[in-house]
Amino acid sequence: MAGSRLERFGTVFTRVRDLIRSGVIKPKEKPLWYDVYKTFPPKRAPLHVKPVTSPSAKKQGIVPEIFYSEDKIRTGFYEQYGRGLRALDLSKSNFVSTCQRFVDKYRELKSHGMLDNSSLFEETAKALLKEGIILRRRGAPPVLAESRDPVLDLKLIDMLAEQQSAGTDTTKTTEDKNS
Amino acid sequence: MIVNNRCFNVCFIFRPFRVPILTGCHSSIPLWWASLCDKKILNQPLEKPDFFRVAELFSLKDLFDARVHLGHKKGCRHRLMEPYLYGCRLDHDIIDLDQTMEHLQLALNFTAHIAYRGGIILFVSRRRQFGHLVETTAKDCGEYAHTRYWQGGLLTNANIQYGPGVRLPDLIIFLSTLNNVFQQHVGIRDAAKMNIPTVGVVDSNCNPSLVTYPVPGNDDTPAAVELYCRLFKMTINRAKDRRKQMELLHGLSADARERRHV
Repeated sequence: MAGSRLERFGTVFTRVRDLIRSGVIKPKEKPLWYDVYKTFPPKRAPLHVKPVTSPSAKKQGIVPEIFYSEDKIRTGFYEQYGRGLRALDLSKSNFVSTCQRFVDKYRELKSHGMLDNSSLFEETAKALLKEGIILRRRGAPPVLAESRDPVLDLKLIDMLAEQQSAGTDTTKTTEDKNS
Repeated sequence: MIVNNRCFNVCFIFRPFRVPILTGCHSSIPLWWASLCDKKILNQPLEKPDFFRVAELFSLKDLFDARVHLGHKKGCRHRLMEPYLYGCRLDHDIIDLDQTMEHLQLALNFTAHIAYRGGIILFVSRRRQFGHLVETTAKDCGEYAHTRYWQGGLLTNANIQYGPGVRLPDLIIFLSTLNNVFQQHVGIRDAAKMNIPTVGVVDSNCNPSLVTYPVPGNDDTPAAVELYCRLFKMTINRAKDRRKQMELLHGLSADARERRHV
C-alpha cells in the first residue's frame, strides 16, 4: 500500500487524507483508524516541533511554583525543630505527620484570635506537648538517661600539669627541709 | 511467536493480509444486506461521544492514588511538556491531572474503537521493570507486545525482515516513550513514518509532539503503570465484547464471523 514517510511534515491524519484525496490510496484501502481519528481528533494535532537550537529564541513558558499559606508555618517548624522525631509514612494516604499536626494546631489557635504571632509558636508547642508530642529543638544537646562518668572528662594535659606543679612543690619542700 | 537465531524476542506475529469481509461468505443472507450490516456495525459507535463508556473506568482520585501526577525534577523538564504541568513544588514537577483525565479519556476511546474494528494493537515499553507486566497485559487482551530491543527496520523494513505482505499494527501504545538511554523511543518516529497512530504515556521529561494521543502522566511508578495496563486491558476487552454483541444483534452468521478473523 502507498504511504508517505515524512514524519516532519503535517500529521499522520493530514498525510493520509491528502493521499486519499489525490487518489493514491483508494477509498477501499482506507486505514482502519481514519474514520475514528476524523470523529475523535486529539486535543492537539501531533505535528513535529523543531528542536530549538539558539538560546535566545527560548521563551520559557512559566510553570508556576506551588506554595501554600501553611508553608510559612512549616518553615518555622522545620527551622526550630529539625526534621521531627516521627518519620513520614508515605504509603498511607491519610497519614498526618508531626509537622502537619503543628500546622493544624497553629491555625486553630490563630483562629481563636487571642494570641499574637510571636507567642503563637511557643503556645502551639505547649499545646502539642499536652497532647503527648514532644518537640525537640534543633541543635540542643541530646538528653541522656545516665550522666557521663566524670573520669572520662579528664584530660591528659591537665593531669600532667597538675603532676608537674605537685612535683615542684615537693622539691621545694625537700629543699626547705634540707637547708 | 517468532524466535529467530539472533534471539531477539518479538512477541507478535504479523497476520497475513486479511481476507475481505464479503468474499468467501457462503451464508444465506444477501450480499447487500451483509454490507449494510457491516457499515452499520462500523459506523454506529462513531455517533456517540463515549460509546464504550471508558470515562467510567477511572476517576481523578484513582489517578492521584496511583501517583500519576508526579513528574521528574525541574532540570529534567522537556519544554514541550510545560503546558501539561500544573506547577512545580520545591523543584518537583506536578502534572495537571485535569488535563490528564481528558487526554486519557480520548486515548482510551480511540483504543476502544480500534479494538472494536479488529485492529492490531502493539504495546511497547522499553522499561525492563515493567516488561513482564506489559507482556501479560497484551496476552490478556489478545493483542501484541514488544518490550525488547527495537530493531531499526521493524516497521520501516517489515516487508524484507518478515516477508512480503506483512500487516503492520493499526495502533501502537507506548507505556513509556523513552528508551533505556533517556532518548525518545525510535518507535514513535517510525510509527509516524508508517502512518500508524500512537497512544503514549508522556512523563515530564518526554517529547509529546509526535505522539498522536499523548497522555501526560508518571511512567516510572509501578502503581501508575499497573493502572495504565489495567485500563487499556479493560477497554480493549470491552470493545471486543461489544463487537461480538453487535454482530449477534445484527444477525450475521457464525460463518462470516469466522472468516473475518482469519
